[in-house]
Amino acid sequence: MRMLNQEEEVDAEVTWEDQQRINSFSKLNAKYSDLETTYESKKQEKGFLDDLTEELELADEDELIKYKIGEAFINISVEQAQQRIEKDKEILIQELEQLQHEMNDLNGQMSQLKVHLYGKFGKAINLEKD
Amino acid sequence: MSTTQSEIEKSNSSVETVLETNPRGIPKVQFVENVEEFITKSSAPVEVTLGKFQETVAKYKFMEINFLNRKKALELKIPEISKTLSVVEFLVSKQDSDEPMETTFELNDTLWANAKIKSTKTVNLWLGANVMLEYTLQEAKELLENKLDTAQNALKNVLEDLEFLREQVTTMEVNIARVFNWDVKRRRTLKTTSSV
Repeated sequence: MRMLNQEEEVDAEVTWEDQQRINSFSKLNAKYSDLETTYESKKQEKGFLDDLTEELELADEDELIKYKIGEAFINISVEQAQQRIEKDKEILIQELEQLQHEMNDLNGQMSQLKVHLYGKFGKAINLEKD
Repeated sequence: MSTTQSEIEKSNSSVETVLETNPRGIPKVQFVENVEEFITKSSAPVEVTLGKFQETVAKYKFMEINFLNRKKALELKIPEISKTLSVVEFLVSKQDSDEPMETTFELNDTLWANAKIKSTKTVNLWLGANVMLEYTLQEAKELLENKLDTAQNALKNVLEDLEFLREQVTTMEVNIARVFNWDVKRRRTLKTTSSV
């Protein structure tokens, strides 16, 4: 919290439209950080799957591997495991792209709101991340 | 929960106007259009109005905590359901093979055992309350898909409600700031006029 100098005070009336803009901004901002967390965890998951793919390249083709499905490990062939991983990876890649797209979209909306709100309220409003 | 909602309704409607709510009945706060008009109309001292506003914020925050808990519970439940679903789907894919599959499953915490499982047409689903029911694979799959869908929908609603609550809190906080600033300015002018 910071007190404003008297010169910095802006005499702008807050209208209902401004309030809605402030609300939208706050909403989008919260949504953005949620998406960011999801994005990071999915990205990590994708990294694990990538490692797994590499690891499986080295595996003995004739040997069964224990693959965890749900809570149990099931013996399946290397080929089957690779198929499953590829499928999971494809879904993840799609989800990541979707998230990225949404995040860009939110960013665009937020910068528009920022221009508007800073333009009207100047230093009397703070829209930056802590 | 219902008490908080009705309390918010009360404290809002005492301020005036018809109550707007979101689709799940959470009341919308009132935006103060013109601070001066608002204060004169309410005929209560500024401190009382501010106190009332702060109380409203506290109520919304309390609801927010409830919703956050629900969100957390659903976020745990959804992966659980989809995990079970993926096993059922795997069993479906193995339905027609004669070869038993070899599994290593958890018998107890940190204790694992090997088992050969013949392809199966049915599974038992734990429904809760110590009840387990046998389903064919297809039925189990449908049931789980249904549950997953419901849970995802519930999560979507909770997220929407959280956004809505957030908006109400922001509106109220801006209201507080504006009433407060208005009061500061009024005192300042009072001071200068009286000192002259």
